[in-house]
Amino acid sequence: MINLENISFTYKNKLALDNVNVHINEGEAIAIIGPNGSGKSTFLKLLNAIIFPSEGKYTFNELEINEKHLKDNKNLKLFHKRLGFVFQNSDTQLFCSTVFEEIAFGLIQMELPIEEVNERVNDCLMLLNIEKLKEEHPYNLSGGEKKRVAIASVLAMNPDVITLDEPMNGIDPKGKSFLKDLLAVLNKSGKTIICATHDFEYIDGIFKRAIVFSEEHKIIRDNTYENIIKDKEFLRQYNII
Amino acid sequence: MIPKWLSEKDNYIPKEEKNLYIEKSIFSFIKTISIIRQNKSQDKLLYLINPNLKVISTILNIALISISRSFAYLLIMDIYVFGNLMLMQKKSRKRIFIRSLIFPIISLIALIPSMFYGNVYNSLLLFQKIIITIIMMNLLAHNTKWSEISKSLKLFQIPDIFIWIMDITIKYIVLLGEYSIDLLYALRLRSVGKTSSKYDSITGIIGNLFIKSYKMSEEMSQAMECRGFTGEYTTKVNFNLKKIDYGYIIVNLLLIVTFIYLKYQGIF
Amino acid sequence: MHIPDNYLSPSTCAAFGAVMLPVWKRASTKIKKEITRQKMPLLGVAAAFSFLTMMFNIPLPGGTTGHAIGAGLIAILLGPYSAVFAVTIALVIQALFFGDGGVLSIGVNCFNMAFIMPYTAYYLFKAVKKIFPSKIGEYFGVFLSGYISVNIAALFAAIEFGLQPLLFKDALGLPLYSPYGLAVSIPAMMIPHLLVVGVLEGLITLGAYSYIKKSSPEIIYKGKSNKMKPLYIIIGILILFTPLGLLASGTAWGEWSAEEFKEFIGFVPKGMQDGFQFNSLMPDYNLGNLKEYIGYILSAIFGVTIILIIFKILSKINLRKDTKGE
Repeated sequence: MINLENISFTYKNKLALDNVNVHINEGEAIAIIGPNGSGKSTFLKLLNAIIFPSEGKYTFNELEINEKHLKDNKNLKLFHKRLGFVFQNSDTQLFCSTVFEEIAFGLIQMELPIEEVNERVNDCLMLLNIEKLKEEHPYNLSGGEKKRVAIASVLAMNPDVITLDEPMNGIDPKGKSFLKDLLAVLNKSGKTIICATHDFEYIDGIFKRAIVFSEEHKIIRDNTYENIIKDKEFLRQYNII
Repeated sequence: MIPKWLSEKDNYIPKEEKNLYIEKSIFSFIKTISIIRQNKSQDKLLYLINPNLKVISTILNIALISISRSFAYLLIMDIYVFGNLMLMQKKSRKRIFIRSLIFPIISLIALIPSMFYGNVYNSLLLFQKIIITIIMMNLLAHNTKWSEISKSLKLFQIPDIFIWIMDITIKYIVLLGEYSIDLLYALRLRSVGKTSSKYDSITGIIGNLFIKSYKMSEEMSQAMECRGFTGEYTTKVNFNLKKIDYGYIIVNLLLIVTFIYLKYQGIF
Repeated sequence: MHIPDNYLSPSTCAAFGAVMLPVWKRASTKIKKEITRQKMPLLGVAAAFSFLTMMFNIPLPGGTTGHAIGAGLIAILLGPYSAVFAVTIALVIQALFFGDGGVLSIGVNCFNMAFIMPYTAYYLFKAVKKIFPSKIGEYFGVFLSGYISVNIAALFAAIEFGLQPLLFKDALGLPLYSPYGLAVSIPAMMIPHLLVVGVLEGLITLGAYSYIKKSSPEIIYKGKSNKMKPLYIIIGILILFTPLGLLASGTAWGEWSAEEFKEFIGFVPKGMQDGFQFNSLMPDYNLGNLKEYIGYILSAIFGVTIILIIFKILSKINLRKDTKGE
C-alpha cells in the first residue's frame, strides 16, 4: 500500500532523511522509534505529503505521490482523506472556533451532506469522550482534551491510514491508556497505524512492527516490535533508551 | 568540576531599578486574553438573542447616535443602554462600567477649553454620545461569542476569507499572547538589577514573537491541508429567529422611529 | 492614535471608508497572487502579531511607558500588501471586540495606520537602502521608516481632526464634532509624535528587524524591485487628497468667504469680529488684527498644554487605551 524507494530529504543544506526504503501493508501497526532529531517527524510529514522528497519515489496505493499529482484539488482531497495525521503540537492543528466545527471541518471539505456530517461528528465526540466540549473554543481546552479533539477531527474523515507524531506527549496516565485502547481497537477494525513515539511504557500490545531511525537519519532496523524492544543493548547503543 | 564561585555565597546588592514596563506588558496581555477567554454561554436574556441581530443593531444605533443632534434621543438611548447593562452578568457589568467611564471623562476634560469659549451644547452632546457608544460596543463584546460576531460580518458583504482570517487572528492572539507572557516572565526573572538594555530585551521579544508567528502559520497551513483544505472557506449565516429575536427587533425599530421623529421635529 | 467614534463627522468616516475600498481590493488581489494557499494563515498570524505589538508597553525615559504600532515593521518584513491586511484586521478586532478606536471611524484609522503608515515605511526603506546600500544604511533606513511613517500617520490624523470644526458647523457656527482646529490638532499630535512616539516606533522597528535579520533572514520580504515611476507618485498624491476633496465638495472648496472663516479655526470667542483670517492653508488671505492673532496663538498653546497634561496623567494610570490626540 505504501512504498518508499530511496527517499532522501534535504532542508537548508542539511540531510533530514537519508536513503529511506520502506514498504508498508494495509492493516499494519508500526512504531517509528529513534532519538530526537533522527528524522521521525520528517518521515511522517513526508508520508503525509506535506513535504516532498529531494530524491526517490513515494507510492501510495499504486499512485505516485508528488507535487504535480497533488496540484489537482481532487487528488489532494482524496489523498488526505485516506491518510490522516495527528500532529505533535495540537495547538496548531486546531484552527476552528468550536470543537464541533473543528471535527466537522474535514467533512465539510469533503462536501458530505449535512446530516451525515452531524452524525459523524457526534459519533466521534462520543468515541473520544468529549461530548461536553462540543461548543468550547479549542484554545480553552487542556492538553489532553486538545489531543482528543485533534484525533476526533482526523477520525471523522474515516482515513485508511492514521499517522501520529508523539501522541503520548503531555498526556496524563489515564489519557495514555485511553489512547492505547483506542489505537488497538482502530487497528483491529482494519486501519493502518503508524506512530512515532519514544514512550514505551504505555504502548505494549499495539504494535507488531518497529522501524528504527538513527542519529544519521537512516533506517537502521526494521523488524518485529518484540524483537527490537527486547534488544536493550541495541537500543542503548543508538540512544533510544 | 564545579567552579569556585558556584560553591560560595555572593555578596550582591542590586541598584534601585524599576522594570515597570515588563509588569505593565504582562498585565495588559493577561487582561486581554482573559477577556477573550470569557465564557459567554449564559442563559440570560441578552446572551440568547441572535448574534447577527445584535451586531446589526449595535452598528446601526452607533451610526444614528453619531448623526443625532437631539438630547432627547440620546436620553432615550441612555435608558436603553442602562437597561441592557442591568441584564448582563454582574462581573461583566462592573467591567463595562469602569471601561466606559474612564475614556469619556478624559474626553470631557479635553473638551473644557472648547466649552470655555462658548461651545457648551456640542461638547456635552459629544460627551453623551461617547458614553453611549462605548457602552454599546462593550455590551456587544461581552454578551456575544466573538466567533459569532465575526461570522455576522458576512452580512456586511465582507468576504469569507477576511472572516476566516479574523477568527484565526483571535486564536493566535491567545496563543501568541501566552507565549509572549512566558517570554516576559523570563525577562522579568532575569532582570535582577539594572537592565541598561531594556530596548534590546523588548525588541528581542517582539522579534522572537514574529519568528514564532511565522513558524506557527506554516504548521497551521500544513494542518489545514491535511484535512483537505484547498483554499475555499465558506460560512453560512444563521438566521433562525426565535421569539426573543422578534422582541429585540421590535425594540430596535421603535428606537429608529424615535430617532426619525425627533430629528424631523427639531425637538430640543 | 486610534481615533474614536463621534469625533469625526459621519461623512468623514464614510469618505475615508470609500477611499479604503480600492486599497483593500488591491491588497487582496496582490496577496492572492503572491501568497499561495500555504501562506494564507500567515496573514492571520501577522494580524495577531500587529495586534500584540500594539499592546507591548515600551519603557520611556521618565519612567512612563508608551506603545508602538508596528505597521512599518510588518510592511518591511512581509511587504506592504500583507501589512495593509494585517493591520486592518488588528484594528477591526480592537474596535469591534475591545472598543479601542471607533466602529464608524475604522475607515479613517485604517487609512492612517493600515495604508499610509505601511506604504510610507516600505517605500522609504527601499529608497534609503538604494541610496545607502551599506549595512549602516539599511539599519538607518529601518529606523527612519519607522520614525517617519508614524509621524506621517499622526499628521493625517491631526488633519482629519483639525478639519472637523472647519467643515462641520451647526446653525450657530459651532463645531459639531471635534472642536479643535488645525492650529491645535497639528501641534498637539505632532509634538509628542515627533519627539517621543516616532523615536519609539523607529527603535522598536529597528530592534525587531535586526533580531529577525540575525536569526531567520529568509522570512523577510523580497518584493519585486520596481522603479518608483513618477506616475505612481502622482497617483499616490492624488489618492492622498481624494478624501479631502470628497469632504470639501459639500462646502465648495476654496470659496469660503471671510465671514465663514472668521468664526472657526480652532475655538475662537464667539464675539470675535471680522478681520481675522487664517493664513496657513490659504496663502492669499492676509493677516488680520494682530491682537486677535496673538489671542489665537495663546488659545492654541493653552489647548496643547492641557492635552499634554492629560497624556502625563494617562501614563500614570494603568490604562491600556491609547488616546493620543484628543
